[in-house]
Amino acid sequence: MAASPSVVPVAVTAAVIPVLSPSSDFSNLREIKKQLLLIAGLTRERGLLHSSKWSAELAFSLPALPLAELQPPPPITEEDAQDMDAYTLAKAYFDVKEYDRAAHFLHGCNSKKAYFLYMYSRYLSGEKKKDDETVDSLGPLEKGQVKNEALRELRVELSKKHQARELDGFGLYLYGVVLRKLDLVKEAIDVFVEATHVLPLHWGAWLELCNLITDKEMLKFLSLPDTWMKEFFLAHIYTELQLIEEALQKYQNLIDVGFSKSSYIVSQIAVAYHNIRDIDKALSIFNELRKQDPYRIENMDTFSNLLYVRSMKSELSYLAHNLCEIDKYRVETCCVIGNYYSLRSQHEKAALYFQRALKLNPRYLGAWTLMGHEYMEMKNTSAAIQAYRHAIEVNKRDYRAWYGLGQTYEILKMPFYCLYYYRRAHQLRPNDSRMLVALGECYEKLNQLVEAKKCYWRAYAVGDVEKMALVKLAKLHEQLTESEQAAQCYIKYIQDIYSCGEIVEHLEESTAFRYLAQYYFKCKLWDEASTCAQKCCAFNDTREEGKALLRQILQLRNQGETPSTEMPAPFFLPASLSANNTPTRRVSPLNLSSVTP
Amino acid sequence: MASVHESLYFNPMMTNGVVHANVFGIKDWVTPYKIAVLVLLNEMGRTGEGAVSLMERRRLNQLLLPLLQGPDITLSKLYKLIEESCPQLANSVQIRIKLMAEGELKDMEQFFDDLTDSFSGTEPEVHKTSVVGLFLRHMILAYSKLSFSQVFKLYTALQQYFQNGEKKTVEDADMELTNREEGERKMEKEELDVSIREEEVSCSGPLSQKQAEFFLSQQASLLKNDETKALTPASLQKELNNLLKFNPDFAEAHYLSYLNNLRVQDVFSSTHSLLHYFDRLILTGAESKSNGEEGYGRSLRYAALNLAALHCRFGHYQQAELALQEAIRIAQESNDHVCLQHCLSWLYVLGQKRSDSYVLLEHSVKKAVHFGLPYLASLGIQSLVQQRAFAGKTANKLMDALKDSDLLHWKHSLSELIDISIAQKTAIWRLYGRSTMALQQAQMLLSMNSLESVNAGVQQNNTESFAVALCHLAELHAEQGCFAAASEVLKHLKERFPPNSQHAQLWMLCDQKIQFDRAMNDGKYHLADSLVTGITALNSIEGVYRKAIVLQAQNQMSEAHKLLQKLLIHCQKIRNTEMVISVLLSVAELYWRSSSPTIALPVLLQALALSKEYRLQYLASETVLNLAFAQLWRQPSRISMKPRTILQRSTAKSKSEMLFTSRPDSTTHWGRPRRGTGVRCSSGSCIRSCLLTGCP
Repeated sequence: MAASPSVVPVAVTAAVIPVLSPSSDFSNLREIKKQLLLIAGLTRERGLLHSSKWSAELAFSLPALPLAELQPPPPITEEDAQDMDAYTLAKAYFDVKEYDRAAHFLHGCNSKKAYFLYMYSRYLSGEKKKDDETVDSLGPLEKGQVKNEALRELRVELSKKHQARELDGFGLYLYGVVLRKLDLVKEAIDVFVEATHVLPLHWGAWLELCNLITDKEMLKFLSLPDTWMKEFFLAHIYTELQLIEEALQKYQNLIDVGFSKSSYIVSQIAVAYHNIRDIDKALSIFNELRKQDPYRIENMDTFSNLLYVRSMKSELSYLAHNLCEIDKYRVETCCVIGNYYSLRSQHEKAALYFQRALKLNPRYLGAWTLMGHEYMEMKNTSAAIQAYRHAIEVNKRDYRAWYGLGQTYEILKMPFYCLYYYRRAHQLRPNDSRMLVALGECYEKLNQLVEAKKCYWRAYAVGDVEKMALVKLAKLHEQLTESEQAAQCYIKYIQDIYSCGEIVEHLEESTAFRYLAQYYFKCKLWDEASTCAQKCCAFNDTREEGKALLRQILQLRNQGETPSTEMPAPFFLPASLSANNTPTRRVSPLNLSSVTP
Repeated sequence: MASVHESLYFNPMMTNGVVHANVFGIKDWVTPYKIAVLVLLNEMGRTGEGAVSLMERRRLNQLLLPLLQGPDITLSKLYKLIEESCPQLANSVQIRIKLMAEGELKDMEQFFDDLTDSFSGTEPEVHKTSVVGLFLRHMILAYSKLSFSQVFKLYTALQQYFQNGEKKTVEDADMELTNREEGERKMEKEELDVSIREEEVSCSGPLSQKQAEFFLSQQASLLKNDETKALTPASLQKELNNLLKFNPDFAEAHYLSYLNNLRVQDVFSSTHSLLHYFDRLILTGAESKSNGEEGYGRSLRYAALNLAALHCRFGHYQQAELALQEAIRIAQESNDHVCLQHCLSWLYVLGQKRSDSYVLLEHSVKKAVHFGLPYLASLGIQSLVQQRAFAGKTANKLMDALKDSDLLHWKHSLSELIDISIAQKTAIWRLYGRSTMALQQAQMLLSMNSLESVNAGVQQNNTESFAVALCHLAELHAEQGCFAAASEVLKHLKERFPPNSQHAQLWMLCDQKIQFDRAMNDGKYHLADSLVTGITALNSIEGVYRKAIVLQAQNQMSEAHKLLQKLLIHCQKIRNTEMVISVLLSVAELYWRSSSPTIALPVLLQALALSKEYRLQYLASETVLNLAFAQLWRQPSRISMKPRTILQRSTAKSKSEMLFTSRPDSTTHWGRPRRGTGVRCSSGSCIRSCLLTGCP
């Protein structure tokens, strides 16, 4: 690296286009809007379509500027004028995807804009050829070897320019992309950081940086320019790194300063809620988003996942048909249709659509995992295993694929074998109760009750999603005849259900009351026992037992001392007992048998 | 994208969700290197009988197989190889490739058209089903399958290949001018390790499936038989990663990577590779039409079984048992008796770690014979023999059983088990205290290896049985005071089994025991004490025992006594008779050294009874000696008679008696380790001097 990012002369570039040095706060929204419009134009001129789209979208969410405030287009320099003809021609060729032709006519141009377009067309031409080549390689083993031949030449030329400090922000961005494609991650990060310093408004550079940063530690050591763009970047990367709380906080701040109309931010928030499984919130935000932007396809696969989880058939069907009308050859559309078929239990068709999504984009991770789920439904375990393995190959950190593999082996009745996979999933999502419950179930099957207990307790401690951990834990205690602990667990379980206030029928509620009734009966706590027995009578399967128990209690009470006349408030209601019966055990670090990976 | 027609989504490579890496079943394809080999074959066919001498032709034929199987090599290397066997042919090959590469595309097309001619005619140059014939036909088929753009790509690749080769030869020529001799020497070296070709492998591009399979099987067999000759763990892993990058579906590579990770004792990576392999294998199992669902279930069972083996290897016995239970359950559900049989043997191996269970083992052997699994059967017999030997069965019965299993081995040519059997005989003879027989068996195993390597070209060099036999050899030599010879053997062991390999622990323990004994003999107790930690790390019981001996020698009697008592109880619990006797002997010694030989007597008698019962003659004679000494100590007045009579009455015609009469001056014989536990009697010299004084 010739120059460390911190010493890049920001001022030099800023002098050329004064508007391009954005401030660090959001006090002047008009200024921000001007900058966004300007950068949208600049990126469009260079064929950087996605960045242009992003900037334009964001600019659209801000109030319109009066005529007087509108920015005149940046002045044309002498160099630009010289290359004007070649640039116009080449840009036309570029737009119709004749990259080689564009590059040919741009050869020898000196202006920054033309030079960028020249290099960029060469890069894209190489990428296009690479894609074509993949189909036509000499043998199957060669498929990993097909690479963009232009990359190395581009790297050499760009690194010369870079050393001579002749690259502008866009040039640096392209250089970074080339480095990343050559797997030179460290260098690429440096160059992207430099690019963000020189041209902070270019969203593409930030986005590339997002893809290269793998953990929070890396993020800490980056010296990023102090601009308002950084806030967007941080929010985005927090979402990527699953630091959802921080991300939501950032997005809320952005909305507060005036970006409330931005569909980008709204969709990101929805995705964040999806990631922490706050389904209702995510759904409502997505519905809102679809109202604002009915032809939007991005993120709709996430939306469909949510609809799927809630089994909202009609909504999903509407979404699928709608998207299919907009563009049926988009990865997201295929994914939504796949989910739709899956919900209708037409798993073959669903798998077909996920395959189609993968044809469109082989690196689209979600589809591999979803396809695995479909094959699981079809009982085609071997195909499911392969699909999951592919998902893992694309992204080793895909916990759903690891979890899916674990489930597959569990279905094949190999509880020990699937432990490995569940552990991997658990490593990736340490605070997800589903993995912990799955682990616990496996241990239970293997008769490793101590480990199982740890898992269930931990699952409860990190916030159980399915509310099953406590019941399972209680049953384990029951098995081990640790009646004290079992009763504690059942009490907590019942408190949990009541405090949630959900009307949903819980199957295990009756079991809990029955056990508690018997437990109190044994402890000769008649009041509590009779309360529980009465509760038992409310359920079909335990009614008879409840009644019998009530009779017994009555008998014993009559034999014994006179019963206390006043009935205390039911002990299991959260109001009465939340103060003294909250779980006091601290969450201990999960120490499963550590000898195995 | 919108222009893509729906029908395109039908993907021939994808049926039932499984992506087939290889649609047409072509395992090989044309590369520039292959073209060069084809040119060579063509030239060989064209030159008639007379042009090439018989010797040259033979050399060429020998060269062909590695060329056909091996990875692609550069043109200059290929020239060199041909030149070594036949210079004139090398010249003509060079010219033809030059013509083809510098000519036009049609030259190459013409070449492939002409290739088919070699099969035609009444007396074809190449037989269709021969190795060369198959190769030619594969290549012709692969070539004709190429699409228009692929043909052109191949031609440009050929040109590139040729130009690279040219550049190399020019450089080589320069080098040879300046330093001819060195170049020649280098050539010789290359000739030597043609079979491994480490640097070529790493510099070449992707391997075709055939080449990859060859590479994997070669490395796997090297890992099994002679680890030192295989690639180093790091470079092998690099190769495998490379291979997997080009073809992630190549499941076998994962398995080799598992084996490789085992070499470096990496639990995490090896588990990962193993599971990955079986995830992949399950696919291919489901794919094969012949056994369909059956094959799929089969791989599942073996996956669990292998996992059990892995955990066992790393000493996670509890995990291994869980995995094994799983394997057994699945195998039972699907009535797979063969797999069950394997599970049973593993169950025994695991059970062995805790308690003896020969009911299980006997059952296993019977079943294995019933299902016709000779390997498992005789492995079972061997384990049974081992167990019986510890339980004190007579030698003739054991040897009979071993002979029976040997018959099985030779019948099914299970060379691995033959080795184990001989190693076991060595151990049994040593257990009984017959050093000559043990020596003879050990030597037999070692020299048999050299015999076999000449015959079959199979070298089993780093199996456990060799390590065991060599360790015995070293200890036997050390026992007889030939420490130089012993250290020579150990040096060899170190070379053959590098410190991080699987069986290195065997020689490490043996080495330290010998050093310990030596230090004790020399009276360097501090040195011996420092060795105890090392021994304890490898074998805790042995370590405690040695610690006690050192303490005893340093006159810390009470500590030594405490340790020995603890050890005694422990050993009686785990039924380690050999160690029990040794401990008893040490205890007895402790007693008389604290001037109470009367208490020592019952202890010694107990030891004698035990060693008689288990037929451990060596220990028995040592006990007798100790007994004699205790008597001597008790009744110094009748010093001349009692010990002598005891010794003479002793039924054991052991060396102790011989020593007493014929070689009274041999000091080393007294202070020597015994087999297995390697007991030593530190006050041996003291006994000797007493006996000598008492000797008429």
